Amino acid sequence: MLLEIQAMSPTDYVGFTFFIGYMAMFAASVFFFVERGSVNDKWKLSLLISGLITGIAAVHYFYMRDYYLATGDNPTFFRYVDWTLTVPLMCVEFYLLTRAAGATKSLLWKLIIASVWMLVAGYIGESFNPEGGDTAHSVTWGVLSTIGYIYILYAAWFGEVAQLAEKSESEVVKKGVRTLAWFVLVGWAIYPIGYMCMDGGWLNTALGWGSENVDLWYNIADAINKIGFGLVVYNIAVTESK
Amino acid sequence: MNRFTFIFLTCIYALFLVYQAFIEIPLEHQLIAASLFILLFGIPHGAIDHVLFFRKRKMSTLKFYTLYLGLIVCFVGLWFWQPLMSFVLFLLLSAYHFGESQLVDIKQLRLRNKPLIYFNWGMALLATLMYYNISELKEITTIFQDTVSFNSIYNERLMFWFFLFTNILNIATLSFLFYTNKLTSRRFSSELFLIALIHLTFFLFPFIIGFSLYFVVLHSIVVMHQEYMFFKSENESFSVFEFIKLLLPYSVLSIVFTALLLSLSYWGIINISVPFLAIIIISVITLPHAIVMTIFYSK
Repeated sequence: MLLEIQAMSPTDYVGFTFFIGYMAMFAASVFFFVERGSVNDKWKLSLLISGLITGIAAVHYFYMRDYYLATGDNPTFFRYVDWTLTVPLMCVEFYLLTRAAGATKSLLWKLIIASVWMLVAGYIGESFNPEGGDTAHSVTWGVLSTIGYIYILYAAWFGEVAQLAEKSESEVVKKGVRTLAWFVLVGWAIYPIGYMCMDGGWLNTALGWGSENVDLWYNIADAINKIGFGLVVYNIAVTESK
Repeated sequence: MNRFTFIFLTCIYALFLVYQAFIEIPLEHQLIAASLFILLFGIPHGAIDHVLFFRKRKMSTLKFYTLYLGLIVCFVGLWFWQPLMSFVLFLLLSAYHFGESQLVDIKQLRLRNKPLIYFNWGMALLATLMYYNISELKEITTIFQDTVSFNSIYNERLMFWFFLFTNILNIATLSFLFYTNKLTSRRFSSELFLIALIHLTFFLFPFIIGFSLYFVVLHSIVVMHQEYMFFKSENESFSVFEFIKLLLPYSVLSIVFTALLLSLSYWGIINISVPFLAIIIISVITLPHAIVMTIFYSK
């Protein structure tokens, strides 16, 4: 039986980036898994995690592009499932990179809990928001979610992660952690903006930005953040393995 | 990103959520909140000018106060004689002062280039603030009879070119400093990020909120930190508590005096509108403060 082929407009940039995002993340996963063999043992786990991040995202993008093509809607549910799995894994990368400088399991758990907290609160705030938007609901969950984000941002720039990276003897690790912190600062900033574009949100009401406007940016940001994160880790692993 | 930019960013996220809740904040509420923060942080950052001055220069107390207060009186006089010229002078002065406090720690700058670089950084900041909020500025200044004349400088076409020129020059200068190794890559990226953040703030938030956020977090708190570190370098055991104790009496005095003057205007005893009087007060204390800070930043 032939698959049903959905027609796509050449100007449907959201659909275009769903396809690009899926293929880019799938290719990145293959790359990280294959390259795992060319780095020292202590970096293999980091590359495995990088491959898992892009791999999980690729599978979700596969679903999301079909969902989008079939309904034309914003696949919020799949996005949050994807983020809830991949963002904590990105935080694991911070732990793995700074482990040699003395990162503890408690740091790992704090980062995982903060990232899950951020995403679960964001999901409740966005997905359980009544039709037309309930301000009290979106603000309450928005505040809770932001606390998680600010914690991770602080940890990466000034807190335990940054301090451990500074203590590290490797210049490559120091620079790498700093680059990852930039990803958290700039790359992740798209997500709260998206949150405020939902029905009744400030950017939705004040500037008329809807979820259809942010889907394109979500897709681009997801690809850059996940593949970029992995490539930074890969660069550290390769350089340190020489 | 340094710690102050982090605080600034956290405030932006907090404001995002405030706006998510209220969508629009009335002008009166904006003014109350802005005044509160400016009084709490803005006034203290200039409250110990005399202490800083005497650490750097030898001069009799009488001479210092005569000069300091004399400048204030002269500027007040200028405001009554030429309000528009005074306003422009205030903007130019503020531009230099903001730029100086932001870039003063870049030690490798050539002495003769410093003033231009500082001045352009501040001009780019003010041009950005005015360009994104020009219609709001026009609206606010039209409300009060004594500020209507300021409208003549809010020319959209002029403001656009001014915004473009100062910002391009600012980024070109920072890029040149980076290229000639006067700026580290970390500092360069941090400066560019800060400029982007300032643009975002001034674009998204109303004039009063955007400016207050910059003035409190990226100027007043930064300057207070520089002052604290100076005292700390003189005396290792100097604590934050001692610094607050040093700031407190002069800050309280200034806040009470400012509040008194504004109240006189509010109750109609002084025939000047509250916003106009606020601008006059801020500008006349900025003039000697900016001079003292330039002396303080000198070696």
